[in-house]
Amino acid sequence: MTLTESENYLKLGAQLTDTHESIWQRLGACGTWWTGADRVAAMAEVRSALQCNLCDKRSEALSPMMVTGEHDSISNLSPEAIDLVHRLTTDPGRLSKEWALGIIESIGEEAYVELATLVCVQYVIDSFARSLDLPLRELPAPGTGQPSRVRPEGVGDVGAWVSQTVDKTLANVSRAGSLVPETESLWREVVQAHYSRGPQFAELVWDRELSRPQVELLASTVSALNECFY
Amino acid sequence: MDCEVNIDQLEAGAKIPSGELLVRYGESAVRQDSDLKKIRGDLEAEVGSMGIIEAAATISAFEGLNRIADVTGIQLDIGLADESADFRMTLGLDAYAGASSTQTAGSPARADDVMGIFR
Repeated sequence: MTLTESENYLKLGAQLTDTHESIWQRLGACGTWWTGADRVAAMAEVRSALQCNLCDKRSEALSPMMVTGEHDSISNLSPEAIDLVHRLTTDPGRLSKEWALGIIESIGEEAYVELATLVCVQYVIDSFARSLDLPLRELPAPGTGQPSRVRPEGVGDVGAWVSQTVDKTLANVSRAGSLVPETESLWREVVQAHYSRGPQFAELVWDRELSRPQVELLASTVSALNECFY
Repeated sequence: MDCEVNIDQLEAGAKIPSGELLVRYGESAVRQDSDLKKIRGDLEAEVGSMGIIEAAATISAFEGLNRIADVTGIQLDIGLADESADFRMTLGLDAYAGASSTQTAGSPARADDVMGIFR
């Protein structure tokens, strides 16, 4: 029997897609600051954002703040939470500190970080599927329970827009979501599986299907398209 | 092996094996262009199916990494600021919105190893 292109990718990439499945279900679980239902609603908004008229108009405007209106939302999340999800999904390179602080004032710093981290993890998994023309995963079933709303110790101002662990043993991007450790662990898991892969990250020569220069060329291309300074 | 990416020739593939196709695949995947399937097929002919999966894994990882960096407003690590100090302006990176999050421009210097970039 001949496999289709998608079936071939799924078979060859089984280790990665197994990791995705494990992470995906935990994205729908109750978080530290958001319920499982909230988190799954946010995941639906991530996909909705890609067809949002306001996001489309803003992405074409000289400045996103020149275009006002309401997002084409499909959930009962607050307008600020929806704006966070939609803008992070569709126009991440033009987020500003002023905008972020406005959202944080409304929903809280920890809730902002949890929602943002959730969007980023989902975006990795959805983007992988789109890059290979694989079907997108069905949204997970929302988990039960109530958020513990516990802020971790050892976090503070390290010069970012949000508090992070003050322990500088990691790259700044690796501690970006450290205000919400439980959700951050999903973030680290997906990045490890896709890119950094433990101690291998420190080596200049990688034993992978693509060489390190090939991987970093792709990384540079994506970062330039997203206008990401970091 | 030459591990230095030639940033002046990024769009042409930086003289890296299959570089031009890798860049085109990255562009097409991020933009979800209509030529994605064709470019993926062209690249797969050069790097194989596992190479394509690795490429897709990298593209999607950086779609997420870019977003987490931008939404949390992190600064460049000191080593990263030094490492990029001599080409950020040339490439126009200092004009990106996220540049305003970093307070230190850095002094042009190369790290001794990979982890030194993130000190």
